[in-house]
Amino acid sequence: MTYPQLETLRLERVGPVGWLFNNRPDQLNAMNARMRDEFELAWRALDDDPEVRVIVHTGEGRAFQTGVDVTEIASDGAGMERYRESVENFDFHFTAWHNEVWKPVITAVNGICAGGGFHWIADSDIVLAASDAQFFDPHVSIGQVVSIEAIGLMKRMPVEAVMRMAFVGRHERMPAARAYELGMVSEVVDPPDRLRAAAQELAEKIARNSPAAMAATKRALWGALELGLTDACRAGARELVSMWGHPDQEEGPRAFAEKREPRWQPLGDPTP
Amino acid sequence: MKSGMDYDTLVVEREGPVGWLVFNRPGAANAMDARMMTELEQAWLELDRDPEVRVIVNTGAGDAFQTGLDVSQLSREPDALREQSRRTKRFELRLTAWHNNVTKPVIAAVNGVCAGGGLHFVADADIVIASANASFLDPHVSVGQASVYETIALAKKSPMEAVLRMALAGRHERVSAARAYELGIVGQVVDPPEQLRAEAQALGEKIAQNPPDVLAATKRALWNAMETP
Repeated sequence: MTYPQLETLRLERVGPVGWLFNNRPDQLNAMNARMRDEFELAWRALDDDPEVRVIVHTGEGRAFQTGVDVTEIASDGAGMERYRESVENFDFHFTAWHNEVWKPVITAVNGICAGGGFHWIADSDIVLAASDAQFFDPHVSIGQVVSIEAIGLMKRMPVEAVMRMAFVGRHERMPAARAYELGMVSEVVDPPDRLRAAAQELAEKIARNSPAAMAATKRALWGALELGLTDACRAGARELVSMWGHPDQEEGPRAFAEKREPRWQPLGDPTP
Repeated sequence: MKSGMDYDTLVVEREGPVGWLVFNRPGAANAMDARMMTELEQAWLELDRDPEVRVIVNTGAGDAFQTGLDVSQLSREPDALREQSRRTKRFELRLTAWHNNVTKPVIAAVNGVCAGGGLHFVADADIVIASANASFLDPHVSVGQASVYETIALAKKSPMEAVLRMALAGRHERVSAARAYELGIVGQVVDPPEQLRAEAQALGEKIAQNPPDVLAATKRALWNAMETP
């Protein structure tokens, strides 16, 4: 499959793993209007590629992501107003969650993750960080409210740590080691230049699992964030039962008994 | 003291104010067959109704804590399989303390591997302690099954990233007792592992010093709080 040529992002497939690179290293991968539009194309392309089983998202250069491009906002006359409608309607398309990507998504934080960069932490399944990665949220230090990314984070980690970042703004940074202690990331990669290898390795492990079962699991777990415990289980029952009678449900145990790799159905194939 | 009832797949005992519910199919890594699923409901109710029991400890005999459904055994009992499928589909399971509306504090004492459906008993306990050699994994997606009830409940109680990683990595990765402790999935790691039951009994006796009706009201309030998003 040929990927679209993008100006601010780069796409690449390595084996079963689709890579999405933030590619404005000289602007610390800040998101300008162009990048915001290109994200939707990028997630769609990787989600539509049947060869891609797992997606890894990382950044080029010394930053992972630093949120909205403040220079563009300050200089082109349109400012934040251009985003008013999409923000008021919460009609975003720049993360995997916004685009309803049900393939597993690993975020590999390669350096600074600041402000709006947290969208891709909050909306990711699994997060790895290079040992020199740093996290901070400068919104309030430049007179901006932080809400959506911090709300997403609060649903998945201890709330105090999120509040502290939100209120301290640019005056403090959280190191990767603390993010690991808090369960915001599950692995700190040292030395930092091994990050991409570690992410590829983990993605290949995950790619050995049933794509349909993983998609159903993801829908159930992300759906659970919207509901109370019992309602989430009832809603999850639909996802559980969706695998009953699916060919992967027969193939999994058979491959295990025969000590071979399973041959899973590609995602999107109609269930017989 | 032994239970008044007979169990094939569980051991149900009392020691002071602590009721013990022990998975007892060590030859099958304590996997749940049809019999165990029936007996679990009886055992939780027996211990919950016994006024002498103030706190319940749930652990496993042998090397494993609990490894989920015994699929091969269940496939030989079509009636039992049909009944469990029906309950699963409608989310009418009666496996854990939470499923059975147990009102007393429940401590899971994870004595070894806890895999797949075994995670029900960790997610649905109030307190979890683990031996230093315990480990946690969720192989569902590696055998073509979705991981749903166990991981939903775990995700409500623990950092979400760790739960998503366990659910998506399948059988290719395990969470150690030490990492489960850091994440707050377990509250205490017992080393050496042989001390696990003694530590669980001691914790159970501490909790049993508190008034039972206050414990029950607190338990109700905290679990109800998980019913809103």
